Amino acid sequence: MSHSLEPSRLMVALHALPSVLLQSAFFVVPLCMTIALSFQETQYYQVQWVWSLTTWTEIFTTYYYWKILFNTVLMSLACVGLCAMIGFPIAYALVTRFQKWQATIKILLVFAFLTDAVLKTFGWVVFLDQTGPANFVLNFLGLPDLPDWVIYSRVSVLFGMVYTLLPFSIFTIYLSVDMIDKNLLRAAYDCGASKFRAFYEVTLPLCKNGLMAGALLVFVLSLGSFLEPKVLGGGKNPMAAELIRQTFETRINWPLGSALTIVVISITVITILLASRLLDLGQGRKK
Amino acid sequence: MTMDKFNQSRKRAGRSPAVWAPDPNRRAVLKGMAATAMTATAGALGPGKARAAGSMNYMCWEGYNDPRIVDPFEETNDVSINFDLIVDSPGGFAKLAAGGHRDFDVVSTDSPWVQRMGPANICEFIDPAEFQDVYDKFYPQFQPPFEPLQFDGKTTGLPTRWGWVGPCINTETSDPDEWKTWDAAFDSKNKDKIGIMDWGDWPIMPMALYAGIDPYKELDQAELDEIRKVLRALFANSRALFSDLSLSQKALLDGSVKTLVGTGTYSTSGLRKAGYENIVAVVPEGNENKQGIIWLEATAIVKTPADIDLAKAMMRHVTNKEAAYALTLNDFTSNPSPNRAVEALYTEEERSVLQLDYVDTVWENSVLHKVAPNIDDLLVIWQEELANAN
Amino acid sequence: MPKDICTIQGVIKNYGNFRALHGIDLHVQKGEFIALVGPSGSGKSTLLQIISGFEAPSEGRLLIDGVDMTDVAPADRPTSMVFQKLALFPHKTIAENIGFPLKLRKVPKAEIAKRTREMLDLMELKPEYLNRYPAQLSGGEQQRVALARSMISHPKLLLLDEPLSALDVKLKKVLQTELKRLHRSLGVTFIHVTHDLEEAMMLADHICVMQNGLLLQVGTPDDIYYRPTHRFVAEFIGETNLFPVKAGQNGSYEIEELPGARGVSSFGGEGVQSDTAYLMVRPEFLHLAAPDHDLDVTIDIVVSETFNHGSTTQVKAVTREGNHIITLEIQGHLDEAVDIGAHLTVGWHDTDTHLFARTADKMEFAA
Repeated sequence: MSHSLEPSRLMVALHALPSVLLQSAFFVVPLCMTIALSFQETQYYQVQWVWSLTTWTEIFTTYYYWKILFNTVLMSLACVGLCAMIGFPIAYALVTRFQKWQATIKILLVFAFLTDAVLKTFGWVVFLDQTGPANFVLNFLGLPDLPDWVIYSRVSVLFGMVYTLLPFSIFTIYLSVDMIDKNLLRAAYDCGASKFRAFYEVTLPLCKNGLMAGALLVFVLSLGSFLEPKVLGGGKNPMAAELIRQTFETRINWPLGSALTIVVISITVITILLASRLLDLGQGRKK
Repeated sequence: MTMDKFNQSRKRAGRSPAVWAPDPNRRAVLKGMAATAMTATAGALGPGKARAAGSMNYMCWEGYNDPRIVDPFEETNDVSINFDLIVDSPGGFAKLAAGGHRDFDVVSTDSPWVQRMGPANICEFIDPAEFQDVYDKFYPQFQPPFEPLQFDGKTTGLPTRWGWVGPCINTETSDPDEWKTWDAAFDSKNKDKIGIMDWGDWPIMPMALYAGIDPYKELDQAELDEIRKVLRALFANSRALFSDLSLSQKALLDGSVKTLVGTGTYSTSGLRKAGYENIVAVVPEGNENKQGIIWLEATAIVKTPADIDLAKAMMRHVTNKEAAYALTLNDFTSNPSPNRAVEALYTEEERSVLQLDYVDTVWENSVLHKVAPNIDDLLVIWQEELANAN
Repeated sequence: MPKDICTIQGVIKNYGNFRALHGIDLHVQKGEFIALVGPSGSGKSTLLQIISGFEAPSEGRLLIDGVDMTDVAPADRPTSMVFQKLALFPHKTIAENIGFPLKLRKVPKAEIAKRTREMLDLMELKPEYLNRYPAQLSGGEQQRVALARSMISHPKLLLLDEPLSALDVKLKKVLQTELKRLHRSLGVTFIHVTHDLEEAMMLADHICVMQNGLLLQVGTPDDIYYRPTHRFVAEFIGETNLFPVKAGQNGSYEIEELPGARGVSSFGGEGVQSDTAYLMVRPEFLHLAAPDHDLDVTIDIVVSETFNHGSTTQVKAVTREGNHIITLEIQGHLDEAVDIGAHLTVGWHDTDTHLFARTADKMEFAA
């Protein structure tokens, strides 16, 4: 018996090998290198392999790094909230109201995905700028200019982030709403539930996991927001990705940049772990 | 890939670009793409010391790979050149310092980064006497020993292009007289009308000079604090930071910003070449200290090139009259040459694009850009003040 | 006269150009167990959806307990549905599932708990299930939970939409028995949709056979089995033999229509008068001709296939004249093996036969 198992185990191992190699090459190895780099020092823009805690001491004693990181988490949470609030009704309507248009709307969403983020972000700046088409149209209609904060502000950064990440939110929520057995709603109506009650008692709890997954995805992607704060935000609301870029590129401090990267990765991992525990609770009930 | 494509059309990133929009100039983009493809090919072929004779690896900014410059050299020397286009100067330096110097023969980048190659021990110092014929063609200001390129009494490279950093203004929306000092950038009537280039040391140096501090010497804590205060006030009065050339140019053109801090001819010349003669780069005039800054690009020989004579030939080639002409009148930025012979080649229009008639005022009111001893501290201050700006 | 709990009057349902129901009239009496039977696409589920209120009739009307249901939402109808796939709420416990209709009616918690326990006992579910989730229960147990949920609010009409169709045969039998017991003990009116006529025969007081949006026949299981009015109904359950005959007055038929048949037709029951009628003889009423058998009609056949069904043997054969395929069922084992190709003589008693008009066929096709 065990004899016949040997070759198949070998086969499994062989089949898994490319994946293991790819993962190591593109994920594990760079991560280990980043961690190793964070414990080095830099001198005259060159990494010195001396193994020290200098960068980590700097990180834990420099207030403004944490201010930027905190700002990043805050902006990401706001983005998560807005994406859920806007994405849910859209996804819900896609399933329940616009079945006819579903295909068209999905294609449009995919196009939104495929359009280059750089082009989209720059496009918004040009559109919303003082002398842009938005104000031109408003003035043409005899309306006042857009207020100053529509561009180069925290609001515009958030707008850009929501705009970029909303499709992720819509898609995950859409899937979870679409997967709900329509008979469950009928059953709720049959039990005497109003439309609102059926939504609250059945639809909402059943797409909780979709909402959570979408929120997690949006949150993780938000943490890496780069173009929005830089372009739409006018650079005055720096977020983590820009801090890391500046540290690597402008300051050429690779150990410090690596350490900051590790901090952001840690925030991401901790969030995912916390979220997956929450999701597990939801799933445990179903099992 | 997408980003890279845009990178090529934006220089001075070194300063800190990282965000790129498609250049309004389509040719520039196409050229950029072609250059990317070339770089990719070069990468695939794999530069290395064991490369075949008759080839050269050249790290440079967009512009140095202009066929008007490259073709004659390749033909004369029967050599093919692999270009690695720089998208930001510190990045280029970091690449060389991290071991890339073994792969490259020649580099053309911002002068502080050429100067830094000395202490980093990644360049071949040149003997000014050997290049006397080149210096003979240069304006007097660039004669050896040319301090911005000196390290420990030795010469790291030859200047190849230059320009100035100072208020960039639109004469239709701003009175140039207002901009004889940086005061206007802090005036409350210009609140939210100031654009800042997020280009590393470029915006910091003029602000230090405005504070009456020479940033090119060793600074004490009080001086650093003073610069911090000026930056804080600047951020408070500013509309946005730009990393991108075209968005900042657009803001200047449409009047949504009155000036750009941290750039100069590099940003205005492209617009002037496109016919916007109302866009000018000036320097603050008649202040107690000189507050204009002259920046340079220089060309250097990377440590132990494959063929040192070929590398030296390239140094001579990029500084000659014809090459200088092509180099100074680029599609999206035009900047003067240290070679005075090239002046004879310019038309009236080209002289106007380069603002050549303003050059004397610039030299009178400017300091030369070079390595600032406290630049790392200043960059941290910049980062920190930006984090606190909101 | 017992009062109608549910009256369906001229109900037509159109989906675009497709007419799913062609004018249905049906009276359901209080406490009845009604089965709607038909193949898929017959309109039986549509009719159930109209009763439950999830679909509105295009024409006609529906009364429940004398009240017009036209403007009454599903939630407000005195009906309750057991769904084909049960539709138990996966995120709610068994107790929450069963008590859900009462929770919506704002019944006090203690009362909900009490009635939930009662339903649990009635359904013979274990009390420890209360805090489990539907996915933790077996298919049969889930079925009971679904029934408990639909009955806890004491509906006047319990609608069952093929709830047993996905179950294996053994479990199906158990739950069929259970349904019958529940119906008897609760006294609620059941309307049960199924495509399985055998199940309908076993459970229902009255069976409504539907096909292509038409109600072909409503009757007791015996009516449906022994006295079908349509060829479709006759052939829907079990095997049967239909002989085209010319039916005369008083239920007699002309034997000449049956090539090779001998005897005297003395059928005296209810019948039809038609030149184109069917004579139906169920296989179990076909007997081997023997001297002691006083058969009214006999016919010669050639055996083409035999099937051993244990307690019975089914024989497929063709008539020697006319090549009419017939099926007969013989109790027990045949004493002597019947070889394929054997010549036999079989026959029937006229009292065991049924006559109905062949015109019904035309209706089927018109539909």
